[in-house]
Amino acid sequence: MDESALVYVALYLASVASVALIAAVSVSYSKQSSIRLTPGRLAGLTKDEFARLKGGEPVFLMHLSIALGVGVSIVAALVEPALGYAPLLRDAILAASVPLLGGLTAALVWRVQRLRQSKRIERDLLKSGRDFSVASTWLQLTLVAAIALTMTELALTWAPSLAGAGFLVGTARNLLVAVYYVRPGVNLAGSYDRPLSSMASPFKLGEVLEGKYDISQVKVGVGKMGDFDARERSSYDSCVEIGACEASCPATASGRPLSPRVLVRELSRLGKGESGADSDPLTTVGDDELWACTSCGACVSSCPVGVKHLDIVYDLRRELVGRGKLDREKSAVLENLARSQNPYGLKPSSRADWASAAGVDVLAEGRSAEYLYWVGCVSSYDQRAQRISRSLAKILKGAGVSFAILGEGELCTGDPARRLGEEGRFQELAYQNIRKLASLGVKKIVASCPHCFNSLKNDYPAFGGRYEVVYYTQLLSDLVREGRIRLPGTKVTEISVTLHDACYAARYNNIFDEPRLALEASGVELKEMRRRRETTFCCGAGGSNYWFKVPQQRSMASIRADEAKGTGAKTLSTECPFCLSMLDDATKVSGDGLEVKDIAEIVAENMV
Amino acid sequence: MNVAVCVKHAVDEGELRFDPAGRPLIEGAAGKMGAFDKNAVEAALRVRSEVGGEVVGVTVGGADARKSLKEALAMGADRGVHVLDEPHLLNPSRTSALLAASLREAGQFDLVLCAEGSSDTYSGLVPPMVAERLGYAYVGYARKLGVTASEVRAERSLEESIESVASPLPAVISVVSEANEPRYPTLIQIMQASKKPVAEVRAQDLLSAGGTHSVTIGSMFAHSTDRKRIFLEGTTDEAAAKLVDALRKEGVISV
Amino acid sequence: MTGDVWSFSENAAVASEVALAAEGLAPAVQGGPVVVEVGRARDGVRGGGERLVLQGCPQDGPAEALAECISRAAKSLGPAIILVGATREGREVAARLAVKLDVGCLPEASRISSDGKTVSAERSVYAGRVSATLTSPLPCVVTVRPGSFAKSTGATGTVRNYDAGTPEVRVRRLGSSRRETGSVDLKSAKVIVSAGRGVKRKEDLPMLEGLASEMKGALGCSRPLSSDLGWLSEEHHIGLTGVVVKPDLYLAVGISGQLQHIAGMKDSKVVAAVNTDRDAPIFQASDYGIVGDLYQVVPALRKALSARH
Repeated sequence: MDESALVYVALYLASVASVALIAAVSVSYSKQSSIRLTPGRLAGLTKDEFARLKGGEPVFLMHLSIALGVGVSIVAALVEPALGYAPLLRDAILAASVPLLGGLTAALVWRVQRLRQSKRIERDLLKSGRDFSVASTWLQLTLVAAIALTMTELALTWAPSLAGAGFLVGTARNLLVAVYYVRPGVNLAGSYDRPLSSMASPFKLGEVLEGKYDISQVKVGVGKMGDFDARERSSYDSCVEIGACEASCPATASGRPLSPRVLVRELSRLGKGESGADSDPLTTVGDDELWACTSCGACVSSCPVGVKHLDIVYDLRRELVGRGKLDREKSAVLENLARSQNPYGLKPSSRADWASAAGVDVLAEGRSAEYLYWVGCVSSYDQRAQRISRSLAKILKGAGVSFAILGEGELCTGDPARRLGEEGRFQELAYQNIRKLASLGVKKIVASCPHCFNSLKNDYPAFGGRYEVVYYTQLLSDLVREGRIRLPGTKVTEISVTLHDACYAARYNNIFDEPRLALEASGVELKEMRRRRETTFCCGAGGSNYWFKVPQQRSMASIRADEAKGTGAKTLSTECPFCLSMLDDATKVSGDGLEVKDIAEIVAENMV
Repeated sequence: MNVAVCVKHAVDEGELRFDPAGRPLIEGAAGKMGAFDKNAVEAALRVRSEVGGEVVGVTVGGADARKSLKEALAMGADRGVHVLDEPHLLNPSRTSALLAASLREAGQFDLVLCAEGSSDTYSGLVPPMVAERLGYAYVGYARKLGVTASEVRAERSLEESIESVASPLPAVISVVSEANEPRYPTLIQIMQASKKPVAEVRAQDLLSAGGTHSVTIGSMFAHSTDRKRIFLEGTTDEAAAKLVDALRKEGVISV
Repeated sequence: MTGDVWSFSENAAVASEVALAAEGLAPAVQGGPVVVEVGRARDGVRGGGERLVLQGCPQDGPAEALAECISRAAKSLGPAIILVGATREGREVAARLAVKLDVGCLPEASRISSDGKTVSAERSVYAGRVSATLTSPLPCVVTVRPGSFAKSTGATGTVRNYDAGTPEVRVRRLGSSRRETGSVDLKSAKVIVSAGRGVKRKEDLPMLEGLASEMKGALGCSRPLSSDLGWLSEEHHIGLTGVVVKPDLYLAVGISGQLQHIAGMKDSKVVAAVNTDRDAPIFQASDYGIVGDLYQVVPALRKALSARH
């Protein structure tokens, strides 16, 4: 063998060894984090990856380009010695490399933009320390390097004479993958199928009251790094500064002191620091950093590596609440919930005042209805939002749907308490509601507030409340399809409407076709915003943010109102009483004549 | 430092119901810890975190007053004293006598913290009465507190001025709501507080040496809580004049 | 029992009001009204009947010393009723006096009567929702809510000096300053004029400030003005996410009345509203409403307020 052949073999072996290293590290991490990389999970993950492309977030296209680019180049390197005998395989690899190079180029450009943006956010919004910023830059440059190396390797497949150089580049990239990107990959494989709407609870009040465990053993919140559970640790340690969360976070966009990227990275660094497990996360994470989160879920759903930022936010909020670090506004909400079972602190006895005027029945023993209409506090008490409940009642009556409400017996679902970090108060309300619903034999529920809806549908089953819960837009679209609501069908009204998807309906529960169907059936012209469906932009009220203030540069609602105005629509349609209130305020301030209306109002107005 | 904090299980005025004649149904009315009492508990907890020591919550009232005491314990007080008494509404003499007697029994206190007034009756008499009965110094309406081993310095919030004072210990201090933002006790903390010790004392055992002056309630009636919803019509000037007239008749403006 | 009715307040304006209450009460206990003064009789204090000047006591208190001196005089002179203005200092004076004299104490009276054996006082409780009449045997100390009585116009009768000695004082005053002007204390304001989105420009706010100060009140606002527009600081923001207030009068100007806002002022004694929209929710939560443009109504209100003078 001549010298060049020896070099070729040596480089090839190095390349194979680096691939073996990736495999070994993957197995080791998956064992460490008890995430099993079964073929079934990997297939599920692959399916999920492609499904996420449909959401339209560019980051997933880039993510897929990188994943496939790395995959294809590894395969190409492994089979390189045989390629001379398999011209078809070579052609296939070359053909695949073209679109991948395109995707990788886009990823590279986006990365450089993110790097600049992220430094601005660290400097202006968060006043991050220099150490943090430098480490963050390095990690981002590592990602740039990995992309560049992969591009080089793919390009080199076009020049068989440079195969040795290709092995060298591939080996370098594989080492980077083994060190930096296996952990996030394993994390993703372990978490891709845990939906946004699932929320962990450190205890169950029912079990405490039954004496299954001692109340003094109940530990709520995370006071030191060691108290984060394995999934949370895997989450923050998997962040490789992609920055998709930061790019989609409405809190960051409104100039609040929060970037989901910085939050998880700071925790990861703190956990690895000197005192590691014993250090207090709240020395690194500020109160307003946590309160700034609206729990809209944009970060979680845009993260390509399965980081669940919200788990961490909730656990740290719980810690803040446990330490008594709530200001007057936030404690007032919780006290109101404790005293009056609604966040306003208004009389429970006046909850159903709107309904008696609208002729809506109250469910009682011996009286039955197909649907329980869960009104929610805002549409019960707020005069503006009462137009939602009145409109929906009118529609349901018109369509001959049998429904009734709980009246005074309806209590807040507890969602504001839960999102604020007061898990106990949430569960107290949940158990009370579940008992009430059971006593009345309720099986089907329709809700017109996405927060109530999500709570009833996704939170309550863990505490024994299982119902068929539908969102009112789903029911409306069913009624339209079945012809039970008489609508003009053709565009007679010529009103242009843009729809603001509610996070808890669209992103949390994948409901976005139904409201559009109902709107279009009402004869309006739908003009869409860029951020819609699962990539909708929060109004600023979620995560209990409706009930308190966080320092910010510009409100999310006014950013969103501008986006809505940009479509040229005359009406901004909402599907959530909180969105309605926030956007109504924002358009009032900007005074640009954009009318804000709930879907139920629009449908009810157009009924013939 | 031994700190006592007095809390009242006050009538929750927001939940008050009335009989058809407009008399409030005080018996069985929902109660809650007085809004300002929370500021007193918070102030006590902050003193403890600054100079160490023990915080003892003290309440006078019926069985349901235990709820407010428990809330003080959930906020962080170390133990509680519950003086069981028939609800004697609106008699600060009796309340202060019971508090003073129970404080004498419960230990040697350097500081007794109270709210500026209860949120249901707001008389502002109990704290200075307790001071007078115990022979302690008294600083009323404090909005800032600084405590050392021998002295307490405070900023008093008076109607038209802010007064800085220094007082020797032991002292009774009443705090205003602007003094702090009281912490919210979580449901779990309230449940966990059930395990903290509470001493129960009967009022008749404390006041056996002599009663206090009686206060009888002659009558009680509700001010209408419904809004009148009167539209004042006419030209702008007429409507404005009508409004000013109405407000003067209501006695809510003094011009 | 019979005896005099004493009145006292360290605040000269309140002292004249308490004096009037004493004048009204004195015949019922077959005594005379006595205005109690410390150090010297103040010029600004009006009141019929005798003036009892306590010598020896430091003129400006503190309350601890005032209570001791008054109690010494009361022990020797035996008044039937002692009325004390329910100011922050006055409450301490009254509380200490009642304990020192071992008599009952009725708080925060807005009306007072006596049948010669007992004294009855009407007061408001439960955040102003309920009016209660309380009765206690004589002798008795009563604190009188400022603003409940007009100022006495009575002429001073005989002046009597009483040497009360100089009592020991434990609490040292280190300094005193006027309340910061410019700082907003909506929680203690008796009248609040609150501005909403009906105000079109920041430059129009002084008009409402003027109205507020003419009503001896403070200026507040709804959420959009502070949080979204930043025209006023957050401490002006009334509502669930801002300050929760309970003034005697809440005048909402150009506020539509989102529930967020209503929840922050619903316990006000009297609510009045000015808004262009007759269907605005604020009117449901108001006692008095004027449907109209605030730019016309506010100047009309200012004119109506000054009309009497």
